Amino acid sequence: MSSKKSAPQRPDQTDHLPEQSRQALHGFNKALDDATRMVVKGLGAERWQALTIPLLSILLSLLVISVVILAFGNNPLEVFSSILAGAGWFAKSNYGGGQSQLTDLINLATTLTPLLFAALGVVVALRCGLFNIGIAGQMVLAGFIATVFVGYSGMDALVARPLVLVIGVVVGALAGALIGFLKYRFNIHEVVSSIMLNNIFMYVVAYIIKLNYHDPVSRNMRAASSDARLLTDPVHLGEASARLPVGFLLAVIAAFVLWFFLTKTRQGFEMTAVGKSPKAAQYAGIKIGRTVVFAMALSGAMGGLAGVTHYLASVPSIAPNVLPSVGFDGIAVAFLGNAHPLGAVLAATLIATLSTGATYMSSIVGVRQEIAALITGMILLFTACGGYLKSWLENKKSMIADADRAAADRAAGSKGGDGA
Amino acid sequence: MSILDVNYAAILVDGLSFALPLLIIAIGGIYSERSGIVNLALEGLLGFGAFVGALFVASTAGLFAAHSDLPMYFSFLFAAIGGGMFAVIHAVLCIKFMANQVISGVVINILSVALTGFFTSTINANFFGQASERFMLQTSPRWDIPFLMDIPILGAAFTRVYPFMLIILVVATFFWYLLYKTQFGMRVRAAGDNPQALDAAGVNVSRVRFGAVVISGVLAGIGGMSFAYSISTNFSPAIYMGFGFLAIAALIFGNWKIIPTFAACLIFGLTRSAAFNLLPVFDASAAVLDLALAAPFVVTLVLLAVFGKKNMAPRALGDVYDKSKR
Repeated sequence: MSSKKSAPQRPDQTDHLPEQSRQALHGFNKALDDATRMVVKGLGAERWQALTIPLLSILLSLLVISVVILAFGNNPLEVFSSILAGAGWFAKSNYGGGQSQLTDLINLATTLTPLLFAALGVVVALRCGLFNIGIAGQMVLAGFIATVFVGYSGMDALVARPLVLVIGVVVGALAGALIGFLKYRFNIHEVVSSIMLNNIFMYVVAYIIKLNYHDPVSRNMRAASSDARLLTDPVHLGEASARLPVGFLLAVIAAFVLWFFLTKTRQGFEMTAVGKSPKAAQYAGIKIGRTVVFAMALSGAMGGLAGVTHYLASVPSIAPNVLPSVGFDGIAVAFLGNAHPLGAVLAATLIATLSTGATYMSSIVGVRQEIAALITGMILLFTACGGYLKSWLENKKSMIADADRAAADRAAGSKGGDGA
Repeated sequence: MSILDVNYAAILVDGLSFALPLLIIAIGGIYSERSGIVNLALEGLLGFGAFVGALFVASTAGLFAAHSDLPMYFSFLFAAIGGGMFAVIHAVLCIKFMANQVISGVVINILSVALTGFFTSTINANFFGQASERFMLQTSPRWDIPFLMDIPILGAAFTRVYPFMLIILVVATFFWYLLYKTQFGMRVRAAGDNPQALDAAGVNVSRVRFGAVVISGVLAGIGGMSFAYSISTNFSPAIYMGFGFLAIAALIFGNWKIIPTFAACLIFGLTRSAAFNLLPVFDASAAVLDLALAAPFVVTLVLLAVFGKKNMAPRALGDVYDKSKR
């Protein structure tokens, strides 16, 4: 396969060196070779690379961040463990009234929900070869319409909450389908139309809020009634109590359903086919336009659900003139999760842990909480190099195989003596 | 106020002061994308450039005379260097490590927001002894251009001009010339349309692309620094307002060509400044401003729907160049 030779086979260029350093060099080469073999053995199994490479990225980024933290004179282990404690994975040293490790975990689930939905939206579009950067706009629009029509209506919770979710799906799907339609019908690049629509939704919603639904104290949109919010009534958990996020289980179920849809159904297959090669898909009789619009609608539906679970659960209400950063974080989560619905669940858990735990860490250790975003960026940076690592592993694998074969040949040759 | 009291000069100048930084960022994007490298990183690059420029101003505050404009000019230089250096990450990821270019762009944006936020407050606390998440800049001087300002009607565009507008005009003209009239520019365009042919002609495709991406960072840095002076007179994480993405929209609207992209930037800039300046005339409530600000985006979408049919991205955009493939 490869014309390059592995390190031990290189012609010996060390003759001019004194014996001692030559031995040291050989020892070093040997160690390097062993290390390479170990890495290749550990990461070479392609079946597990979807998992091993992100894990390696996380490990490497934690190492780099540790150096940064050390440079500022803090203990990295303390930082990491207090982030985990802040997110509810470990017990904190003490809790305020009504709080416990369980309520921290529930908070984590509440912030995780919209992030996971947003990431699923990005994943669905990516599978069809589309980049939905418009999740943020779909979130604002869905959250706004749900608040206006259900949030102030005084409906009973049993009706209001499902209705909010339905509005999220429908509004998001329509907004997403519009992007797909513009791409298919008018050849407008989805990234451009998404950015335009993000701004249009943001400003129009801000206009209506300031006209009719302004809360003069918070300067935000008036909050929806608690019956319409996607949080249950407070549940007592020992001494603590918390509101459970309605959307959390739904988001996890959605991830599994999407996984099934994308891999096991005809329409999912058609979407993936269009994403891999539109021309080949067209040749196979797949209707591209319909598939693109459908994929964007599905992606938008996830964005809409992200919107209602964000604005009607995780934050109090909509702040006018601001696009939710969750919509953009979802992109990072989707990539970190390898554009796979189940990968997105793991990645969203990690990113939500970092962002919710950072506040507590900052108050305990005193390192600024932006370190969480720095860790996220680093992880993604190393993940982005995953493709390179894969081809490097392939390369090394064939090199090692070559070297082993050559060694075996040599061994056989010296035994045979006279040869042919 | 009546319609006669409208400050048309302000509409023109404010519009240009928004359109020109957007243009220089978009030209950066054009360089990168014409060479075949998708650049969603503009947002992060402009922010990091502005951070480095503002850091220079903040750290040399005592070295210059009290009302000297020199730090301002240097800040643009440092912003360009900072943006270019940050763009090296994008170039290395996309070219050397063959990363997915969209992912790499997202990485740069996240890293930029995180790094500048983290270091602005940390440097402020540790070196300048103040708890602040911004670096203050001094107010930019504004010039009236002699003679040109006396031209009827259009002359208004030459009054109360920000110095950075002239800097950008010069830089933009240079990079327009470089892209369309020189060998290097032709190589950049070839790298994005037919890298195999460029390679066959004996040119190192990776090196050309690397240069183009670094240029995109340099130009984005200058644009970011301009926004820091015109919109806020400080550097804070508030600089990440989506202007980088707007520049991407402008360059795709302009079909990856510099002059049409300038037209798109003018639409954004002038409608925006018209909205701000005309509202008091119609006695409109502040809320209407939001509707007016949405207008340029609607206009762009409609224009794209009408004229966008023949829009064509560079053919090799987003592809990792692989010598062995044909």
